[in-house]
Amino acid sequence: MNRTSRVRPGRVLCLLVLAAAAASPTSAGAQERFRRTPPLPAAQPQELRLPRIERVSLSNGLTVATAYRSGSPLVTLQLVVRAGEVDSPPERPGVAALTARMIGKGTKLLSAGAIEDMVESMGADYSVDVLMDYTVFTFHVLDESLERALFVLKSMVLDAQFTERELGSLKRTAYNELSDRKKNPEFLGWRQFLRALFENHPYQTATYAGDVIKFISTKDVTSFYDRYYRPDNAVILVAGAIDGAAVGKRIIFHFANWVGQPVDRAVLAPPPANARDRVCYVEDPEAVDATVFIGNVIMAASDPDFFPFLVLKQVLGGTTQSRLFMNLRESKGYAYYAFSQTEFFRSCGVFWARARVTPEFIAPAVREIAREIKDMSIEGANPAEVEEAKSFLIGNLPARFESLEGFAEWMARVVALGLDEGQWDKGPERLKLVTVERVRAAAQQYLSGKPLVVIVGRPEWLDRYLREFEAIEVYDNSGALKTTLRKGEPR
Amino acid sequence: MNRAARSFFLILLTLLVPAAFPAAPVQEAAPNTLGFEFQEYRLRNGLRVILSADDRLPLVTVVVAYGAGTVRERPGQEGLAFLLENLMFRGSENVSPLQHVGFVQKVGGDLNATTTPDRTLFFQNLPSNSLALALWLESDRMKSLVITPAAIEITRTDLIREHQERLASDPYLGSFAWFDALLYPDDFYGHSLINAGEEMKGLTEKDVLDFHRTYYVPNNAVLCIVGNIDIAETRELVARYFDTIPPGYDVPALPVPAFRQDGEVVRKLSAVQASSFGFHLGFRFYPLQTGDVYSLKILEYLLLKGETSRLRNRLLRRDLMAHYLSGGLESRGGVLGLKIFCLNNNADMVERSERAILSEIDKLRKIPVSPDELAKVKKLFKMDYLRSQSTNLGRAIFLVDAAFSGKLMSALGTELDKYMKVNAPTLTGLINRHFTPRNRVILELGRK
Repeated sequence: MNRTSRVRPGRVLCLLVLAAAAASPTSAGAQERFRRTPPLPAAQPQELRLPRIERVSLSNGLTVATAYRSGSPLVTLQLVVRAGEVDSPPERPGVAALTARMIGKGTKLLSAGAIEDMVESMGADYSVDVLMDYTVFTFHVLDESLERALFVLKSMVLDAQFTERELGSLKRTAYNELSDRKKNPEFLGWRQFLRALFENHPYQTATYAGDVIKFISTKDVTSFYDRYYRPDNAVILVAGAIDGAAVGKRIIFHFANWVGQPVDRAVLAPPPANARDRVCYVEDPEAVDATVFIGNVIMAASDPDFFPFLVLKQVLGGTTQSRLFMNLRESKGYAYYAFSQTEFFRSCGVFWARARVTPEFIAPAVREIAREIKDMSIEGANPAEVEEAKSFLIGNLPARFESLEGFAEWMARVVALGLDEGQWDKGPERLKLVTVERVRAAAQQYLSGKPLVVIVGRPEWLDRYLREFEAIEVYDNSGALKTTLRKGEPR
Repeated sequence: MNRAARSFFLILLTLLVPAAFPAAPVQEAAPNTLGFEFQEYRLRNGLRVILSADDRLPLVTVVVAYGAGTVRERPGQEGLAFLLENLMFRGSENVSPLQHVGFVQKVGGDLNATTTPDRTLFFQNLPSNSLALALWLESDRMKSLVITPAAIEITRTDLIREHQERLASDPYLGSFAWFDALLYPDDFYGHSLINAGEEMKGLTEKDVLDFHRTYYVPNNAVLCIVGNIDIAETRELVARYFDTIPPGYDVPALPVPAFRQDGEVVRKLSAVQASSFGFHLGFRFYPLQTGDVYSLKILEYLLLKGETSRLRNRLLRRDLMAHYLSGGLESRGGVLGLKIFCLNNNADMVERSERAILSEIDKLRKIPVSPDELAKVKKLFKMDYLRSQSTNLGRAIFLVDAAFSGKLMSALGTELDKYMKVNAPTLTGLINRHFTPRNRVILELGRK
C-alpha cells in the first residue's frame, strides 16, 4: 500500500518504529487468532413462531381470518376469491384477470376515479393479483384507516359494476401490457413453458396472449363475477396489531349482506409429467442472450415429498453456490446465471431450471442442465450437499415472513389452497428430518422423466446454434407455432 | 516483550493513533414515535455503532456503510466508488475472493451492496444465531481488504461489460447520467455511478488504493445491527471484531458544491435508439434552509406519488399527453434534487408535457394546497415512511442514512411529526425560493 504516514520516527528505538507502524492507519498489525476462522453459530436458531391464523365463518359462508402481528401500525386487509385463471372459460382465457381488474373500476354509486381517490386518501397501497387458482385483493393501510378500507373494499366488490367503457379501457391497457411483456424473454419463456407443460390441462388458460382479450365482453365478466364472487367462495384476511374480535365485528357489519350461493368448483387432477423429448424455441428478435427453461410437473405443496424436493432443488440450483451456477457459469462459462425454481398450484407443482446463456453456448448449456438433472435423478445429492441445503432453507425460512408483502402472500396462499399453516412453523423441524435417501427418492420420482426444454432467442440463432436438436417447435413471440424444424431437413 | 516495554508500547500506540476517538458513553435514544428503539455509540477507532433489537423473527440484519459514495470521486474518477463497492467482495486476509457470499448463503442469508452519491452500503440478512459470522466477515474486509491489480482488472471488466449490456437493453439509461451532469454542474456532485465506463477504464491502482485508504476506514463508517439480538452480547461481539481495527486519517470534509448555472438549461439528446420521445426535467435545491427537507419531501408526494398526484393525474389521466412518468427527490451530500422522467408519443407531446409540469408548479405559487389534498399526501407519505422501517433491513438503512445525513439521532423519534407539520404556506414559500429557472434543467430526448 502507498503509505504517507504523518509520524516521523527519526532516530528512535526499534520499539518505537514498531509501535509507530502498528499505529499507522494502514497497518493491520498482528492478527488476533479469532480472525483466522469463521465463528460457529451462537446456538440453535431461535424458534420460528408465526402468528396463528384465527378463522370464523359468517352465516353467508364468508370466512374471516385474522392474524396478530405486533410492532407496526400497518395493517394488511385482503380478500381472497377462490377463482383464478384456471377458472376462466376455456374459450375465454383471461376472463378471470379482467374480472378482478374491473373490481374498483366503478360501482353503482362511485366512479373508478372516485374509488381511486378514496384509496389514495387513505394512503393505502392497493393491488390485485390473479393467480392460477385464486385471486387476491390487497390493501396495506395505516391501522387508523382500516375501517375506511373495509368500506372501500366492500363497495368495490359487492357493488361492482362492469361498464363497456371501463372494460374497453381496461382491455386496451391489458393488451398494451401484454405487448410490452412480449419484450421480456423471461415472460416469453415462462408462458411457453406452462403452455407446453399444461397442453391438455385447464391450467393452460393462464397462458393467454393479447389476441384473446378483444373477445371478452361485459357479459363474460358479469357471468364470471356472479358465479365465483360469492361469500362462500371467499375469505377476508386481516393481519396486523389488531383486536381480532373487534375487526371481525366490523367485517360482519360490512359483509353480512353479501348474498351466498354455493360455488361448484371441481378439484382438478394433476396433469401428467412431460414424457417425451420436446424442445420449444420462442423467437425474440431483440434478445441479447438466450433464456433457457428446463423442467417438468411435480407434486403439490401438500405432498410429503414437498420438503425433500425443496432440498433437492436447493442443491441443484438454489444459490450461486449450487451445482447449476457453479457448473454453467463458474466452470464452463456458458451462462450469466443458472438457478432452479419451483411453483406450486392447487393440484400440482412445477420445477424448472432457468439460465441466461451466451447464444453460441445454447446447445451445450441445455445439455449440461439436462445432465445435471439426470445425474440428480440417478445419484441424488451427497450428505454434505444435503446438509448445506437444509442449513440454507432453515435459515432462510423466517425471511419469507418478514415483510408485509411476504406475510400477506403466505397467509393468502394458506387459506386459498387449504394448506396446513403449521407446516411452516414446523418447517425447520421437517427440513431437519430430510435425509439423503429421501432426497434421492424424490429425485428419482420427479426428475427421471424427460424434461421439457424452452429456449428464447433471436430467430437467426436457430440456424447458427441449434442444429443438433432432433426437432424444434418454433413459436413467435405471441406464442403461435410457426414451424417444426427437424434435424437434417433444409431450413 | 516485558511489562515495561508493553506499557511503553501501549502509551505510544495511544499517542500515535492518528484519529483516535474517546470511547463515548452509550447514548440512549429519547422516547420516540418510530415504533422501535435503538441506541448509538462510537468505538475508540471512530466507528459509529447503532443497535436495534426486534425479537419477532429469528433474523438479524448487519449493515456496514462507508461515507464513500460518488460525491467523493474527484474529476476524472467517475466509477471509482462503484468499483470499490465490488472490490469489497474480492477477498480479505482470511476470506477468499467471493467466499463472503458463500459463507452468508450457507446459513440461509442473503446479502448485497449499493452505492449512492452519499455512501456505499453493504448488508447481510441472516438467522440471528449467525450474527457473529456477519461481524467476522465485515470486520475482516474493513481491516484487511486485499486489493490486487488483477482483482481491479477483473472487477472493472465485469462492471463495464454488465453496464454496457444494460445500456444496450435500455435505450434511456445513458440519458440519466447526462441529466445528472447537467442538473449538478459541479466537479463532484454530478457524477453517476458508472456512466459509460470510460473514466472507470482510466482508473489506476493508486486511485483505487488512495480512495480505499481514505474512505474505507472505521472513522468514516457506520455499523448498524437490527433484529433478534441481545444488546449486551452484541456490544461484546462488536467490540471483539471491530475495536482493534486501526482508524484512518481524518476524513476530508465533503466538497462544497459550486454549481455553474446562471439560467434555465435546456438541452437535446437526439441519439436515443428508442420508440418514444421523452425528457428529463429537474430542479436542484441548494443551499437549504431549516425544514426544507421535510417540505420538499411532502412536495414530492404532492406532485408525483400515487395516481391522483398532481403531475400523474394531469399528464397520464386527464390530458393523456404522456404514457410514462416517474420521478422523485434525491439527496447528494447536502444537495437535494427533484428529478422527473417522462415518455411521450411525439415531440409535440414532449413540449406540452413540459409546459404542463411547469404550469402545475406555478399553480402551487398562486393557489395554496387544500387541507384535504395535504392530508391525503401526508397519509401516503406516512404509510411509506413506516413501511420502509417494517423490515430489519429497511430499519437499518433508515438509521444508517440518518447517521450520514447529519441528523440528530436522538431526535429521530420526532422526525415524522416534522413531515406532518408541513403546511400550505410553507410549501408556497418553498416553491418561490427554489423553483426558479436558475435551478431548472431540461434534457429532451429525440429519436435517432
